[in-house]
Amino acid sequence: MKTRLTGYAFITPAMLLLITFGVLPIAVAMVVSLTDMNLAGLGDWSRIRFIGADNYTALFADRAFWQAMGNTALFAVVGVPAVVGLSLLIALGLNSSQGRFFRALRSFYFVPAITAIVAVALVWGYLFNTQFGLFNHLLSLVGLPPVPWLSDPVVVKFSVVWVAVWRGIGLNVIILLAALQGVPKEYLEAASIDGASRARQTFSIVLPLLRFALFFVTITTIIAWLQFFDEPFVLTKGGPLGASTSISLFLYQKGFSASQFGYASAGSVVLFVIIAVVTVVQLRARRADVDY
Amino acid sequence: MKSIRMAAAPALIVVGALALAGCTSSEPEGEAADPGSLTVWIMGDSSENFDALVAPFEEESGVDVETVAVPWDAIDQKFTTAVASGEGPDVLQIGVSKLRTFADSGALLELGADTVADYPNLAAGNFLDGVAGEATAIGGKVVSLPWVSDTRVLFTRTDILAEAGIDAPPATWDELRADAKTLAGRGDGQYGYYIPQWDSALPVVMTWDQGGEIVDADGMIDFDTPEFQQAVDLYTGLYADGSVPTNSDFDQTQGFVSGAAPMLVSGPYLAGAIADAAPELEGKWTVSTLPTAAAGTSLLAGSNLGVWGSTKNEEGALKLLDFLSAPETQVSWFASDGQLPTVKAALSDPALAGDPLVEVYSQQLADARLLPLVPNWDGETGKALLDALNSIVLTGADRDQTLDALFQTTSGTSVN
Repeated sequence: MKTRLTGYAFITPAMLLLITFGVLPIAVAMVVSLTDMNLAGLGDWSRIRFIGADNYTALFADRAFWQAMGNTALFAVVGVPAVVGLSLLIALGLNSSQGRFFRALRSFYFVPAITAIVAVALVWGYLFNTQFGLFNHLLSLVGLPPVPWLSDPVVVKFSVVWVAVWRGIGLNVIILLAALQGVPKEYLEAASIDGASRARQTFSIVLPLLRFALFFVTITTIIAWLQFFDEPFVLTKGGPLGASTSISLFLYQKGFSASQFGYASAGSVVLFVIIAVVTVVQLRARRADVDY
Repeated sequence: MKSIRMAAAPALIVVGALALAGCTSSEPEGEAADPGSLTVWIMGDSSENFDALVAPFEEESGVDVETVAVPWDAIDQKFTTAVASGEGPDVLQIGVSKLRTFADSGALLELGADTVADYPNLAAGNFLDGVAGEATAIGGKVVSLPWVSDTRVLFTRTDILAEAGIDAPPATWDELRADAKTLAGRGDGQYGYYIPQWDSALPVVMTWDQGGEIVDADGMIDFDTPEFQQAVDLYTGLYADGSVPTNSDFDQTQGFVSGAAPMLVSGPYLAGAIADAAPELEGKWTVSTLPTAAAGTSLLAGSNLGVWGSTKNEEGALKLLDFLSAPETQVSWFASDGQLPTVKAALSDPALAGDPLVEVYSQQLADARLLPLVPNWDGETGKALLDALNSIVLTGADRDQTLDALFQTTSGTSVN
C-alpha cells in the first residue's frame, strides 16, 4: 500500500502538468472548433456562436488545407528517413573511435540543433537567395544556371526539408550514439573471432540491439515532422503560393494571422487525430521487446 | 546508501517547491502599475529612438514611459494574447492596415470628441485629411489618432535610365511599362522594374490610378470593374514583358543598388536604406511622384496610436498622445527615425520643407488614400488578391477563372 502511494505521489506533479498543458488545451480546442470564434469573439465571449461541424466541412473543402496536408506528407516521407538514416550513419561513424577529434566532432554535429532557428533561417536565406546567394554564385562559377531555391514550387519543398534535416540530425545522433555505446563489446569480439566482417557485425549484431533507440528516434522524428513549422515559417512564410506550407503553418496562419480561431482549432483537432493514429499504428506494429 | 537517499528526497521536494514558487512570483506587468507610468508598444526598430523622443515628456510630466519593441511579424500574436488575457499596454502603435481588426476586438479606448477636448494637439483638423477623424473611424467610433504617415513613390536610377536613353522618370504607367521593357533588354539578370510579391497595395493603387474603385457604393469590396481589369493587364503585362524578376526572394535594396531593378515603387524607408547601403550612389537616383494614368493616387499608410481600453492611466496616455501630436515632436521624430508626420503643421515646417525628398513625399501625400478598412485586409482580402495575381503570373493559372474566384471570395467583405 505504502509503496503504491509513494509512486502516485511522485508522478502526480508531472501528471498534473501534463493534464493542464497537454490534455486540457486539446479539450478546449475541440470545444472551440465547434464555434466561429475570432478576434472579436475573443474580446467579448457573447459574440461567439456555436456552429457545429461547419468548420470541419469548410476545412475539408479548402484547397489550401489539402495542399498543406500534401506538403506535410511529402515532408514526412522525405525527411524522416533522411534524418533517421543520416543520424544512424553519423552515429556509427562517430562511434568508431574515442579519440579527441571524434569527441569534438560530436559537438560539431550537435551545434545546428541548438542554434536559434531565426539565425539559421537568416543565414540559409542568404545562401539560397536567387540573385545574390552563395549557392547560385557557386553554380555560376561552373557555368550552371541559377536555381530558384526558394521560389520554385517544387524546389522550395526540398530546400526547406534540407535545412530541417540539417538541424534535426544533431539530437538523434546523440541519442543513437548513447545507444551504440551500450552495445556489449563481448558480442562484437565473439563475432569477429567467428570471422564476421565489420559490415556483418553492424547489420546483424549492432542494429538489432539498437532497435529500441531506433524506434524511439523514429517515433519522435515522425511526430516532430508531422508538426513541421519552424523552417517554412522563417524561410518562406509558406512559400510561393503555399508550396511550402505545412499543416502547422497553415493552422498558425489561419489562427493567428487571420484570427479564425474556430477554423484553426478544427484543423488542430484533425492534426491531433492523425498523429495519434500514426503513433498507435507504430506502437502496435512493433514486435514484442526482446531483452538481450 | 539508504541514509543518503532518505536525505535526498526531502531536499529534492524543497528544491522543487522553491522552483515552482519562483515560477509564480513574477507578476504580470499591468497588475500593479502605478498611476505615473505608461507601457507603450512601438513597432520595428524604432523603440530606441522613441525612448529618446519621449525623454522631455517624461521629465516634464513625471510619467515614466516604458517602451516595448514589437516586431511587425509578431504584432498579431501579441495583440491576440493581450486581448485574451485582458492585459495589454497603455498605448500602442497600430498600422492602419490592422486598424479594423484591432478595433473590432473592442480592446481600444474610444477617443471621442469629449475625451480629447482638453488636448489641443489632438483636434482632427491638425492632421492630414486622409487619416484624420472620420477617415479612420471604425463603426462610427474613433479609436485611434494619427501618428506617422507613409506613402508610395517612384524610385529611379537616373544614371541607368540615362544610359538606356531615358531622360526622366516615367510620368505615366504606360511609359513605365515601356521603359521597364527597354531596361530589361540590357541583359540576363537585368530587369526594368520590381513587383514585390507580398505587396497587396500595388494592384489597388494601379486600379485607383486607372480611375477606378475597389469598394462599391454600398461599402462592399468589388473587384469586378473594368479599371481593375486594366490594372491586372498592367500587372500581368510587366511579367509577360519579362521586365520584373519572378523569384520571391528578390532583395529590393540590393536590386536597386546593383542596378538589377532600376525602378521601384516603395516608401520613404527605402530612401534611408539606399543611403545607408550605398552612399556612393548619391546623385544617381531620384524620387518622384507615382506615374499617372487617369489619376496619380498613391497609397496612404502609416500608423496610428491607440489607447488600451482597460488602461489604468488614461490621463497619462492622453497626455502622451498630445505630446506626440505636437508639431515639434513630429518634426524631431522625422529627424531621428525618418517617419513622415501626419500633422499638417509639421509637414510644412521649414526643417522638413527644405528636404527635396520630403517635398516629393508631401506632394504625394496630398493625393493618397487608405486601403479599405475591411475586417482583415492583410490576412484575407489582400491575401486573396495577391494569391490570385501571383497564381496568374507565376504559375500560369487561367486569368478569367482565377479572377472570377477572387470576385466570389471577396465580394462579401464590407468596410462597415
